[in-house]
Amino acid sequence: MENNSSSEQRRVLLRLLAYTKPHVKTIVLAFMLLLIATVGDILGPILVSIFIDDYLRPRNIVFEPLLILGASYMGIQIINVLVSYFQLLKFQEIALKIIQAMRVDVFAKVQSLGLRYFDKTPAGSIVSRVTNDTEAIKEMFVTVLVTFIQSGFLMGGILIAMFVLNVKLALFCLLILPVLYFIIRTYRRLSSKFYHDMRERLSQLNAKLSESIQGMGVIQVFRQEKRLRKEFEEINEKHFFAGMKNIRVDGLLLRPAIDLVYIGALILILSFFGITSFNSPVEIGVLYAFINYLDRFFEPVNNLMARLSLYQQAIVAASRVFTLLDEEELAPQQALTGGKMTNGQIEFKDVSFSYDGKRDVLKNISFVARPGETVALVGHTGSGKSSIINLMMRFYEFERGEILIDGKSIRSYPQDELRAKIGLVLQDPFLFYGTIKENIRLHNGEITEEEIVEAAEFVQAHHFIEKLDNGLEHQVVERGSTLSSGQRQLIAFARTIAANPKVLVLDEATANIDTETEEAIQVALARMREGRTTIAIAHRLSTIQDANLILVLHHGEIVERGTHQELLAKKGLYHKMYLLQNGVTEKLEDVVG
Amino acid sequence: MKVFLQLSWFFKQEKKAYITGIVLLLMVAFLQLVPPKIIGIVVDEIDQGTLAAGKLLLWIGLLVGAGLSMYVLRYYWRIMIFGSAVKLARQLRKQLFDHFTNMSQSFYQRKRTGDLMAHATNDLQAIQQTAGSGVLTLVDSLATGGFVIIAMAATISWKLTLIALIPMPLMAILTSWYGNLLHRRFHKAQEAFSALNDKTQESISGIKVLKTFGQEKEDIEDFRRQSDDVVKKNISVAKIDSLFDPTISIVVGISFFLSIVFGARYVLNDEITIGELISFTTYLGLLIWPMLAFGWLFNIVERGRASYDRVSRLLAEKTEVLEQKDALDLIPSGKIGFQIATFIYPGEKEPVLQDVRFSLKQGETLGIVGKTGAGKTTLLKLLIREFDLKNGKVTFGGRAITEYKIKKLREAIGYVPQDHFLFSATIRENIAFTNPLIDEEKIFKAAKIANIHDDILEFTDGYDTIVGERGVSLSGGQKQRISIARALLLQPEVLILDDSLSAVDAKTEEEILHALKHEREGKTTIITAHRLSAIQHANLIVVLDEGKILERGTHEELMEMDGWYKEMYVRQQLEELVEQGGSLYGK
Repeated sequence: MENNSSSEQRRVLLRLLAYTKPHVKTIVLAFMLLLIATVGDILGPILVSIFIDDYLRPRNIVFEPLLILGASYMGIQIINVLVSYFQLLKFQEIALKIIQAMRVDVFAKVQSLGLRYFDKTPAGSIVSRVTNDTEAIKEMFVTVLVTFIQSGFLMGGILIAMFVLNVKLALFCLLILPVLYFIIRTYRRLSSKFYHDMRERLSQLNAKLSESIQGMGVIQVFRQEKRLRKEFEEINEKHFFAGMKNIRVDGLLLRPAIDLVYIGALILILSFFGITSFNSPVEIGVLYAFINYLDRFFEPVNNLMARLSLYQQAIVAASRVFTLLDEEELAPQQALTGGKMTNGQIEFKDVSFSYDGKRDVLKNISFVARPGETVALVGHTGSGKSSIINLMMRFYEFERGEILIDGKSIRSYPQDELRAKIGLVLQDPFLFYGTIKENIRLHNGEITEEEIVEAAEFVQAHHFIEKLDNGLEHQVVERGSTLSSGQRQLIAFARTIAANPKVLVLDEATANIDTETEEAIQVALARMREGRTTIAIAHRLSTIQDANLILVLHHGEIVERGTHQELLAKKGLYHKMYLLQNGVTEKLEDVVG
Repeated sequence: MKVFLQLSWFFKQEKKAYITGIVLLLMVAFLQLVPPKIIGIVVDEIDQGTLAAGKLLLWIGLLVGAGLSMYVLRYYWRIMIFGSAVKLARQLRKQLFDHFTNMSQSFYQRKRTGDLMAHATNDLQAIQQTAGSGVLTLVDSLATGGFVIIAMAATISWKLTLIALIPMPLMAILTSWYGNLLHRRFHKAQEAFSALNDKTQESISGIKVLKTFGQEKEDIEDFRRQSDDVVKKNISVAKIDSLFDPTISIVVGISFFLSIVFGARYVLNDEITIGELISFTTYLGLLIWPMLAFGWLFNIVERGRASYDRVSRLLAEKTEVLEQKDALDLIPSGKIGFQIATFIYPGEKEPVLQDVRFSLKQGETLGIVGKTGAGKTTLLKLLIREFDLKNGKVTFGGRAITEYKIKKLREAIGYVPQDHFLFSATIRENIAFTNPLIDEEKIFKAAKIANIHDDILEFTDGYDTIVGERGVSLSGGQKQRISIARALLLQPEVLILDDSLSAVDAKTEEEILHALKHEREGKTTIITAHRLSAIQHANLIVVLDEGKILERGTHEELMEMDGWYKEMYVRQQLEELVEQGGSLYGK
């Protein structure tokens, strides 16, 4: 297990490092700058010692060489400042760009996932992966890597110098390395667990926050503020304790531990020289140098340890990001290239489907919608109508049966073709933050201003849009919550109409619109349906009576099929539903008549 | 450094921990002087040949003692100072959440979810840093720096010390200037980050729409643009951020240069020795770390300040829906009256409701109908005080609703919103939202009235089925009916159905209305609907049009009026009659 996790950490690190590839040149440049700055740091004191030894001590004050010395000292300082500024900036830039690339990767991955993934993962925790976790990786590239490389070089150099001075003693000092290794390994093992725990808690915090903020209206109206506060506090508390645990591990194993090791090494050297001095004289100079080097050796070690917790955080955050990047719950795949949808004939052939793998929500569904025809799906809520549309839209993958478009498998069409030719109006009209115009156009730059206006007029949305501040430029707040659901529905309609699809899919779309508006939309839809294959779910049978084929679904099965008249004549389920819907009217027949 | 002042309430609150932490920190600083001293003594003794085994053991013993006590002290100051910082984050996060629960809906219309979340996570992180590393660095660098300066002035030359300190004001000016620049830029960077959070949040919530329109690529492009903006804003932070270290090192360099030049003169004048000059520069070298730390401190603190400003600003937001001080601690009951002169949403210009006056006796059913955007939902929102009326009043049981405690008012009301929001929890928990410990029987009963019981039993896990975020795997009708069951569980004095039957079919609607009539005998019910069949049985039907009452009365009265209601009713009936005719005559 332990081996597993450390090899897992190495894998994560390598994968992180792979992100530096496009920036190799800049990184090399930045390291060169770093090298120059380091050389400058060393040169300054050397110039000072030249001054003291060659001029001040012999009291040899001659103007010209001193001026040169002084000028070069200040010159080096100035160059050093410039170089180190650009070096610092470069590393930050690289880090930011790497994080940016990673964010886009994660976001793109999220977009490619199937709806099944979104069913089981709260939005808050996905957001946390895309933004917060990637942010935690940033430090890795700003300071951690630089420090690790720099420290490694320094430690190596000092060890070599020690060997040159005294081999035996240097060997003693090598004993420090396994101790350091042991501390680092223990730290990494413990902290990776604790950081995982903490990021997990953070993710839970985010999920709770996100849901509570979105559902605050419901929470308040049902006066559950206190309970939700308590629930949030519990998660907050757990997050706090996870944070404290991290501080404890850091305190036990980082800087304080390294200082203890330093004192241990000091004791070792002093005892070695002390005991030697009982029998034979020792070289004080060597002793001094060793103590000096020991100090210098521990400087990079401390630097390294100070970054170790950042490193650990980055690795943990990265492994969470990579888990998402490796998520296999992909959106159903489409062929990359393939045919164009010409006629728009749709055929379901013996399709069965289950969301959870346990209970079939669709059983052996077969039907054909010929080009330009309308197929209506009716049935009680939960009878499987929406599932047919979910499969038709390729939101979920199906294994049993086949869906054919123009005689070819739906899978053989490229994604773009499918999306461009099939227009869906969802039962939950979702509006984005932005203007109404942007909401109609979405990101499709090909749709012109005129087309937007036309689309809005087409669905009779322009009446209410004109009354809003700035009309089409009216700012829609998050989820469009200042608009009524009917208004949102109208905008969603306009959106579909602006995209001008070949096949129209309506999912209970008319349910939220008042009769007056709906009539206008019915007219618009009738025009739209001309030349387009339409699959419609409607609760009110009146809206689909002209459908070419009506499928009556019950518990995932098609129990009746035919035209409105045929089904009425059958006096089956459809007939019953129809009577129920019209039962209340009988009293009023005379009024109308 | 202003943020330390802003945070002083917290330092006071946690003064024990902070004082202990700082004392421990100073003790460590003192103990750190021990090992060099012991090294000096041992080296001298070896040099003079006076070192004996016993003495060596003593010194080594002292080193062990110092080492171990430093280890313990270092561990504990971390717990004290860093621990308090984590506590601060926890406390602020709780405050924020509590605050969120108190804010009215207009707040949520103005703010975006991702932004609010960024406040509770990223900003708190920056504040936590300030209260932890910030305090540590401040204390540490002041202590070390002060100690070194005192040593320089006292043991070598106060004149040279002053000269060496000449460039320091320059550093102070520059770093505080950077600090200000950083503050502003950091603010922008945080905002960009928040915006990116929002973008992500929204794309995930709207994933179905994006997929439907095949706009994944374009949306990724949009995301790339926004994250480019984050990079840009952060690079502008980095441009200032990277100035600190070089500035400090050049200032130290000048200081070095000055002390060598003037020190050399003092040496030539025999005011100090060369040895003293060398230790002077060594001391100066010791000053580099606290100064760099100071630069770093600025960075932490400015980030902390920017974030603390953001969080305080959010916490300072006042809810528009306020409770009166002497509000009645009483659940309202009785007659409900609306006397609305005008109502305008905050930040909007056009009134949504105008001159809406009517009343409803206890136990009656009210139907509100009208076109999309006529103001039906707004009327309900005023009753549950999601918004407050400035011009007019709503009464309940003979008193203005503002006279009751908000909690008590809402206790009287079961609301089924148009946007049926379900939590990521089991169906059971969603229905038992107001009382998680309620009897199963009562949950079943509510579900049965809402006509969802049988549906639930058909799910694989029945009542324990987890409904995904916003109830993804349920149909609209099912979500609506669970929302209805949730409200029914309260057995509220007033039940509000805000277009809550729109996604259920006619048969189900009929059954629910029938069950409701029976169940809510003697209790008030308010229904808004597009389908008139849902409100036909109401004691009072109000027809709204563009925020005004167009017609009012019972179904029968309205039918006699020959107005909008009748026209709409006949139209809805006609559609159905046409179908019926079709069946009778075969068309």
